[in-house]
Amino acid sequence: MIDAKTLVIIPAYNEQASIARVVNRVNECLPAADVVVINDGSNDSTSLAAYEAGAKVISLPYNLGIGAAVQTGFMLAQAGNYDIAVQVDGDGQHDPSEIEVLLSKLIAGESDVVVGSRYLADRGYVTPLPRLLGTRILAAYVSMLAGQKFSDTTSGFRASNKRAIGVCAENYPADYPEPESLLTFRKIGLRVSEVPVHMNKRYGGKSSITPFWSAYYMIKVVLAVTILALRRAPQTEDTTYVY
Amino acid sequence: MFTDRLTLLVFVAALGLLLLVLEMVRRRALAEKYSLLWLIMSVVILLLAIARPALDRIAPILGIYYAPSALFVAGFVGLLVILLYFSAVITQLTREARIAAQQIGILRERVDELENGGQHFSDDK
Repeated sequence: MIDAKTLVIIPAYNEQASIARVVNRVNECLPAADVVVINDGSNDSTSLAAYEAGAKVISLPYNLGIGAAVQTGFMLAQAGNYDIAVQVDGDGQHDPSEIEVLLSKLIAGESDVVVGSRYLADRGYVTPLPRLLGTRILAAYVSMLAGQKFSDTTSGFRASNKRAIGVCAENYPADYPEPESLLTFRKIGLRVSEVPVHMNKRYGGKSSITPFWSAYYMIKVVLAVTILALRRAPQTEDTTYVY
Repeated sequence: MFTDRLTLLVFVAALGLLLLVLEMVRRRALAEKYSLLWLIMSVVILLLAIARPALDRIAPILGIYYAPSALFVAGFVGLLVILLYFSAVITQLTREARIAAQQIGILRERVDELENGGQHFSDDK
Protein backbone atom coordinates (compact mmCIF):
# COMPACT_ATOMS: atom_id res chain seq x y z
CA MET A 1 0.00 0.00 0.00
CA ILE A 2 1.47 3.41 0.69
CA ASP A 3 4.21 3.96 3.23
CA ALA A 4 2.05 4.81 6.22
CA LYS A 5 3.46 3.20 9.36
CA THR A 6 0.74 0.77 10.35
CA LEU A 7 0.14 -1.23 13.52
CA VAL A 8 -2.41 -4.03 13.54
CA ILE A 9 -3.84 -4.51 17.03
CA ILE A 10 -5.31 -7.94 17.77
CA PRO A 11 -6.91 -8.32 21.19
CA ALA A 12 -7.13 -11.98 22.21
CA TYR A 13 -8.54 -13.80 25.20
CA ASN A 14 -8.21 -17.59 25.13
CA GLU A 15 -7.88 -17.69 21.34
CA GLN A 16 -5.13 -20.31 20.99
CA ALA A 17 -7.20 -22.12 18.36
CA SER A 18 -7.51 -19.15 16.02
CA ILE A 19 -4.85 -16.59 16.85
CA ALA A 20 -2.03 -18.03 14.72
CA ARG A 21 -4.29 -18.15 11.67
CA VAL A 22 -5.39 -14.54 12.21
CA VAL A 23 -1.80 -13.35 12.60
CA ASN A 24 -0.71 -15.26 9.52
CA ARG A 25 -3.55 -13.89 7.43
CA VAL A 26 -2.78 -10.34 8.56
CA ASN A 27 0.88 -10.81 7.70
CA GLU A 28 -0.07 -12.11 4.24
CA CYS A 29 -2.45 -9.26 3.57
CA LEU A 30 -0.34 -6.46 5.05
CA PRO A 31 3.29 -7.57 4.93
CA ALA A 32 4.57 -4.09 5.76
CA ALA A 33 2.50 -3.65 8.89
CA ASP A 34 3.60 -4.45 12.45
CA VAL A 35 1.31 -6.84 14.27
CA VAL A 36 0.77 -6.82 18.00
CA VAL A 37 -1.38 -9.34 19.84
CA ILE A 38 -2.66 -8.14 23.18
CA ASN A 39 -3.12 -11.27 25.25
CA ASP A 40 -5.72 -10.23 27.79
CA GLY A 41 -4.79 -12.59 30.60
CA SER A 42 -5.60 -15.80 28.70
CA ASN A 43 -5.50 -19.13 30.49
CA ASP A 44 -4.34 -20.98 27.39
CA SER A 45 -1.32 -20.68 25.11
CA THR A 46 -2.56 -17.70 23.12
CA SER A 47 0.72 -15.86 23.74
CA LEU A 48 2.92 -18.66 22.48
CA ALA A 49 0.75 -19.31 19.42
CA ALA A 50 0.78 -15.62 18.50
CA TYR A 51 4.51 -15.30 19.10
CA GLU A 52 5.30 -18.31 16.97
CA ALA A 53 3.15 -16.86 14.21
CA GLY A 54 5.45 -13.85 14.25
CA ALA A 55 3.46 -11.27 16.16
CA LYS A 56 4.73 -9.03 18.88
CA VAL A 57 2.92 -10.14 22.02
CA ILE A 58 1.89 -7.98 24.94
CA SER A 59 0.71 -10.17 27.79
CA LEU A 60 -1.45 -8.36 30.29
CA PRO A 61 -0.96 -9.72 33.81
CA TYR A 62 -4.67 -10.41 34.29
CA ASN A 63 -7.88 -10.06 32.30
CA LEU A 64 -8.67 -6.37 31.84
CA GLY A 65 -11.48 -6.66 29.31
CA ILE A 66 -11.50 -6.06 25.57
CA GLY A 67 -11.55 -2.27 25.83
CA ALA A 68 -8.47 -2.03 28.02
CA ALA A 69 -6.71 -4.60 25.84
CA VAL A 70 -7.40 -2.61 22.68
CA GLN A 71 -6.41 0.59 24.46
CA THR A 72 -3.05 -1.01 25.32
CA GLY A 73 -2.55 -1.48 21.59
CA PHE A 74 -3.36 2.17 20.98
CA MET A 75 -0.91 3.17 23.71
CA LEU A 76 1.76 1.24 21.82
CA ALA A 77 0.71 2.81 18.53
CA GLN A 78 0.97 6.27 20.06
CA ALA A 79 4.32 5.58 21.73
CA GLY A 80 5.65 4.06 18.49
CA ASN A 81 4.45 7.04 16.46
CA TYR A 82 2.35 4.96 14.10
CA ASP A 83 0.30 6.70 11.42
CA ILE A 84 -2.47 4.11 11.32
CA ALA A 85 -3.80 1.56 13.78
CA VAL A 86 -6.06 -1.29 12.67
CA GLN A 87 -8.12 -3.35 15.12
CA VAL A 88 -8.83 -6.96 14.19
CA ASP A 89 -10.50 -9.45 16.52
CA GLY A 90 -8.43 -12.43 17.59
CA ASP A 91 -11.22 -14.93 16.98
CA GLY A 92 -11.04 -14.77 13.20
CA GLN A 93 -14.44 -13.22 12.51
CA HIS A 94 -12.82 -10.34 10.63
CA ASP A 95 -11.27 -11.11 7.28
CA PRO A 96 -7.79 -9.54 7.19
CA SER A 97 -8.01 -9.26 3.39
CA GLU A 98 -10.63 -6.57 3.97
CA ILE A 99 -8.27 -4.41 6.03
CA GLU A 100 -7.35 -2.88 2.72
CA VAL A 101 -10.95 -1.73 2.28
CA LEU A 102 -10.72 0.10 5.60
CA LEU A 103 -7.31 1.54 4.80
CA SER A 104 -8.19 2.89 1.38
CA LYS A 105 -11.16 4.69 2.87
CA LEU A 106 -8.98 6.07 5.68
CA ILE A 107 -6.20 7.15 3.37
CA ALA A 108 -8.69 8.87 1.09
CA GLY A 109 -9.04 11.33 3.97
CA GLU A 110 -12.21 12.82 5.34
CA SER A 111 -12.31 10.12 8.02
CA ASP A 112 -10.34 9.72 11.21
CA VAL A 113 -11.87 6.35 11.98
CA VAL A 114 -13.21 3.81 9.49
CA VAL A 115 -15.45 1.05 10.81
CA GLY A 116 -16.13 -2.20 8.97
CA SER A 117 -19.88 -2.79 9.05
CA ARG A 118 -21.62 -6.13 8.67
CA TYR A 119 -24.95 -4.51 7.94
CA LEU A 120 -24.15 -1.78 5.45
CA ALA A 121 -24.56 -4.16 2.54
CA ASP A 122 -25.69 -7.73 2.31
CA ARG A 123 -22.42 -9.60 2.45
CA GLY A 124 -23.79 -12.96 3.46
CA TYR A 125 -23.54 -12.51 7.20
CA VAL A 126 -26.56 -14.17 8.80
CA THR A 127 -27.26 -12.83 12.27
CA PRO A 128 -29.53 -14.73 14.65
CA LEU A 129 -32.82 -12.83 14.97
CA PRO A 130 -32.69 -11.78 18.67
CA ARG A 131 -29.17 -10.53 18.16
CA LEU A 132 -30.13 -8.70 14.98
CA LEU A 133 -32.93 -6.98 16.86
CA GLY A 134 -30.56 -6.02 19.67
CA THR A 135 -27.91 -4.66 17.36
CA ARG A 136 -30.51 -2.73 15.34
CA ILE A 137 -31.97 -1.09 18.44
CA LEU A 138 -28.51 -0.28 19.72
CA ALA A 139 -27.45 1.11 16.36
CA ALA A 140 -30.55 3.31 16.20
CA TYR A 141 -30.00 4.60 19.72
CA VAL A 142 -26.29 5.30 19.29
CA SER A 143 -26.96 6.94 15.91
CA MET A 144 -29.53 9.20 17.54
CA LEU A 145 -27.19 10.26 20.34
CA ALA A 146 -24.23 10.64 18.01
CA GLY A 147 -26.15 12.55 15.38
CA GLN A 148 -24.78 10.30 12.68
CA LYS A 149 -26.19 7.16 11.14
CA PHE A 150 -24.26 4.05 12.16
CA SER A 151 -25.30 0.62 10.92
CA ASP A 152 -22.95 -1.52 13.00
CA THR A 153 -22.07 -0.04 16.35
CA THR A 154 -20.58 -3.23 17.81
CA SER A 155 -18.00 -3.80 15.10
CA GLY A 156 -14.46 -4.02 16.42
CA PHE A 157 -13.02 -4.07 12.90
CA ARG A 158 -11.65 -0.56 12.52
CA ALA A 159 -8.84 1.58 11.19
CA SER A 160 -7.75 4.79 12.92
CA ASN A 161 -5.48 7.60 11.87
CA LYS A 162 -2.94 9.33 14.08
CA ARG A 163 -5.42 11.74 15.57
CA ALA A 164 -7.78 8.92 16.50
CA ILE A 165 -4.87 6.86 17.87
CA GLY A 166 -4.13 9.65 20.32
CA VAL A 167 -7.75 9.84 21.41
CA CYS A 168 -8.03 6.06 21.87
CA ALA A 169 -4.74 5.75 23.74
CA GLU A 170 -5.92 8.22 26.31
CA ASN A 171 -9.62 7.59 26.43
CA TYR A 172 -11.11 4.22 25.64
CA PRO A 173 -14.02 2.56 27.44
CA ALA A 174 -13.23 -0.65 29.29
CA ASP A 175 -15.96 -3.27 29.05
CA TYR A 176 -17.93 -3.16 25.81
CA PRO A 177 -16.12 -0.36 24.11
CA GLU A 178 -17.36 -0.28 20.52
CA PRO A 179 -20.66 1.63 20.78
CA GLU A 180 -19.32 3.96 23.46
CA SER A 181 -16.19 4.81 21.54
CA LEU A 182 -18.24 5.87 18.49
CA LEU A 183 -19.96 8.45 20.65
CA THR A 184 -16.67 9.58 22.16
CA PHE A 185 -15.23 10.04 18.67
CA ARG A 186 -18.17 12.19 17.65
CA LYS A 187 -17.95 14.29 20.80
CA ILE A 188 -14.28 14.98 20.29
CA GLY A 189 -14.95 15.82 16.67
CA LEU A 190 -13.36 12.83 14.99
CA ARG A 191 -14.88 11.95 11.65
CA VAL A 192 -16.17 8.39 11.57
CA SER A 193 -17.30 6.50 8.50
CA GLU A 194 -18.40 2.95 7.79
CA VAL A 195 -17.53 0.62 4.95
CA PRO A 196 -19.25 -2.68 4.21
CA VAL A 197 -17.35 -5.82 5.14
CA HIS A 198 -18.36 -9.40 5.68
CA MET A 199 -17.70 -11.36 8.81
CA ASN A 200 -16.66 -14.98 9.13
CA LYS A 201 -17.71 -17.55 11.62
CA ARG A 202 -15.15 -17.82 14.39
CA TYR A 203 -12.19 -20.09 13.60
CA GLY A 204 -12.25 -21.55 17.07
CA GLY A 205 -12.81 -20.80 20.71
CA LYS A 206 -16.21 -19.67 21.87
CA SER A 207 -18.09 -16.41 21.83
CA SER A 208 -18.57 -14.57 25.08
CA ILE A 209 -22.15 -13.76 24.03
CA THR A 210 -24.85 -15.82 25.75
CA PRO A 211 -28.51 -14.80 26.23
CA PHE A 212 -27.90 -13.63 29.80
CA TRP A 213 -24.82 -11.65 28.91
CA SER A 214 -26.54 -10.24 25.82
CA ALA A 215 -29.23 -8.75 28.04
CA TYR A 216 -26.60 -7.48 30.45
CA TYR A 217 -24.65 -6.11 27.50
CA MET A 218 -27.64 -4.21 26.14
CA ILE A 219 -28.52 -2.66 29.49
CA LYS A 220 -24.95 -1.76 30.28
CA VAL A 221 -24.25 -0.25 26.87
CA VAL A 222 -27.50 1.72 26.75
CA LEU A 223 -26.72 3.10 30.21
CA ALA A 224 -23.13 3.84 29.31
CA VAL A 225 -23.89 5.67 26.06
CA THR A 226 -26.70 7.61 27.71
CA ILE A 227 -24.40 8.84 30.46
CA LEU A 228 -21.66 9.46 27.94
CA ALA A 229 -24.07 11.63 25.94
CA LEU A 230 -24.62 13.77 29.02
CA ARG A 231 -20.91 14.10 29.72
CA ARG A 232 -18.66 16.79 28.37
CA ALA A 233 -16.18 15.81 25.69
CA PRO A 234 -13.12 14.27 27.35
CA GLN A 235 -10.04 16.41 27.61
CA THR A 236 -7.54 14.60 25.49
CA GLU A 237 -4.50 16.32 26.93
CA ASP A 238 -4.86 15.52 30.60
CA THR A 239 -3.47 12.00 30.64
CA THR A 240 -0.23 11.27 28.89
CA TYR A 241 1.51 7.95 29.21
CA VAL A 242 5.25 8.02 29.21
CA TYR A 243 7.25 4.84 28.87
CA MET B 1 -29.75 9.07 80.56
CA PHE B 2 -31.21 6.01 78.86
CA THR B 3 -34.93 6.01 79.16
CA ASP B 4 -35.38 2.91 77.05
CA ARG B 5 -33.52 -0.26 76.30
CA LEU B 6 -33.27 0.34 72.55
CA THR B 7 -31.36 3.58 72.98
CA LEU B 8 -29.00 1.84 75.37
CA LEU B 9 -28.49 -0.95 72.85
CA VAL B 10 -27.71 1.51 70.05
CA PHE B 11 -25.33 3.37 72.36
CA VAL B 12 -23.41 0.19 73.15
CA ALA B 13 -23.28 -0.83 69.48
CA ALA B 14 -22.08 2.61 68.34
CA LEU B 15 -19.44 2.67 71.08
CA GLY B 16 -18.31 -0.81 70.04
CA LEU B 17 -18.07 0.29 66.42
CA LEU B 18 -16.11 3.40 67.38
CA LEU B 19 -13.61 1.39 69.42
CA LEU B 20 -13.31 -1.28 66.72
CA VAL B 21 -12.56 1.31 64.03
CA LEU B 22 -10.01 3.07 66.23
CA GLU B 23 -8.32 -0.24 67.03
CA MET B 24 -8.22 -1.20 63.34
CA VAL B 25 -6.63 2.12 62.48
CA ARG B 26 -4.12 1.64 65.29
CA ARG B 27 -3.17 -1.76 63.87
CA ARG B 28 -2.99 -0.32 60.36
CA ALA B 29 -5.76 -2.66 59.24
CA LEU B 30 -7.70 0.41 58.14
CA ALA B 31 -6.23 3.55 56.58
CA GLU B 32 -7.01 6.83 58.34
CA LYS B 33 -8.66 8.30 55.26
CA TYR B 34 -11.06 5.37 54.97
CA SER B 35 -11.80 5.34 58.71
CA LEU B 36 -13.00 8.94 58.78
CA LEU B 37 -16.56 8.31 57.61
CA TRP B 38 -16.93 5.38 60.03
CA LEU B 39 -15.71 7.52 62.91
CA ILE B 40 -18.04 10.38 62.05
CA MET B 41 -21.01 8.04 61.76
CA SER B 42 -20.37 6.23 65.05
CA VAL B 43 -19.77 9.49 66.95
CA VAL B 44 -22.96 11.07 65.57
CA ILE B 45 -25.05 8.05 66.57
CA LEU B 46 -23.32 7.94 69.94
CA LEU B 47 -24.12 11.59 70.60
CA LEU B 48 -27.74 11.19 69.48
CA ALA B 49 -28.12 8.19 71.77
CA ILE B 50 -26.71 10.09 74.75
CA ALA B 51 -28.59 13.31 74.08
CA ARG B 52 -32.03 11.83 74.38
CA PRO B 53 -33.80 15.22 74.83
CA ALA B 54 -32.29 16.45 71.58
CA LEU B 55 -33.31 13.25 69.82
CA ASP B 56 -36.85 13.64 71.15
CA ARG B 57 -37.00 17.06 69.59
CA ILE B 58 -35.35 16.20 66.24
CA ALA B 59 -37.26 13.00 65.53
CA PRO B 60 -40.78 14.50 65.24
CA ILE B 61 -39.48 17.13 62.85
CA LEU B 62 -38.48 14.26 60.53
CA GLY B 63 -41.88 12.68 61.01
CA ILE B 64 -40.52 9.94 63.27
CA TYR B 65 -42.80 9.37 66.25
CA TYR B 66 -40.79 6.72 68.02
CA ALA B 67 -37.63 8.73 68.70
CA PRO B 68 -35.10 5.86 68.93
CA SER B 69 -35.95 4.92 65.34
CA ALA B 70 -34.21 8.13 64.34
CA LEU B 71 -30.97 6.46 65.39
CA PHE B 72 -31.51 3.79 62.78
CA VAL B 73 -32.32 6.41 60.17
CA ALA B 74 -29.05 8.16 61.00
CA GLY B 75 -27.19 4.87 60.76
CA PHE B 76 -28.83 3.99 57.45
CA VAL B 77 -28.00 7.34 55.87
CA GLY B 78 -24.45 7.07 57.19
CA LEU B 79 -24.07 3.61 55.65
CA LEU B 80 -25.40 4.80 52.30
CA VAL B 81 -22.85 7.61 52.23
CA ILE B 82 -20.07 5.23 53.17
CA LEU B 83 -21.08 2.68 50.52
CA LEU B 84 -21.27 5.30 47.82
CA TYR B 85 -17.90 6.68 48.84
CA PHE B 86 -16.34 3.23 48.71
CA SER B 87 -17.87 2.54 45.30
CA ALA B 88 -16.14 5.68 44.10
CA VAL B 89 -12.89 4.51 45.70
CA ILE B 90 -13.21 1.12 43.97
CA THR B 91 -13.77 2.87 40.65
CA GLN B 92 -10.62 4.89 41.11
CA LEU B 93 -8.61 1.84 42.20
CA THR B 94 -9.85 -0.14 39.21
CA ARG B 95 -8.72 2.60 36.87
CA GLU B 96 -5.31 2.77 38.53
CA ALA B 97 -4.93 -1.01 38.49
CA ARG B 98 -5.84 -1.06 34.79
CA ILE B 99 -3.23 1.53 33.91
CA ALA B 100 -0.61 -0.29 35.99
CA ALA B 101 -1.44 -3.61 34.28
CA GLN B 102 -1.24 -2.02 30.83
CA GLN B 103 2.14 -0.52 31.64
CA ILE B 104 3.38 -3.85 33.04
CA GLY B 105 2.32 -5.62 29.84
CA ILE B 106 4.10 -3.10 27.64
CA LEU B 107 7.23 -2.96 29.78
CA ARG B 108 7.44 -6.73 30.14
CA GLU B 109 7.44 -7.16 26.39
CA ARG B 110 10.20 -4.58 26.08
CA VAL B 111 12.32 -6.18 28.81
CA ASP B 112 11.90 -9.64 27.27
CA GLU B 113 12.80 -8.33 23.87
CA LEU B 114 15.96 -6.72 25.22
CA GLU B 115 16.94 -9.82 27.21
CA ASN B 116 16.06 -12.73 24.98
CA GLY B 117 14.29 -11.59 21.86
CA GLY B 118 10.67 -11.58 22.93
CA GLN B 119 9.98 -14.99 24.44
CA HIS B 120 8.28 -14.42 27.76
CA PHE B 121 5.72 -17.11 28.33
CA SER B 122 7.27 -18.98 31.21
CA ASP B 123 4.91 -17.30 33.66
CA ASP B 124 1.74 -17.82 31.62
CA LYS B 125 -0.78 -20.13 33.21
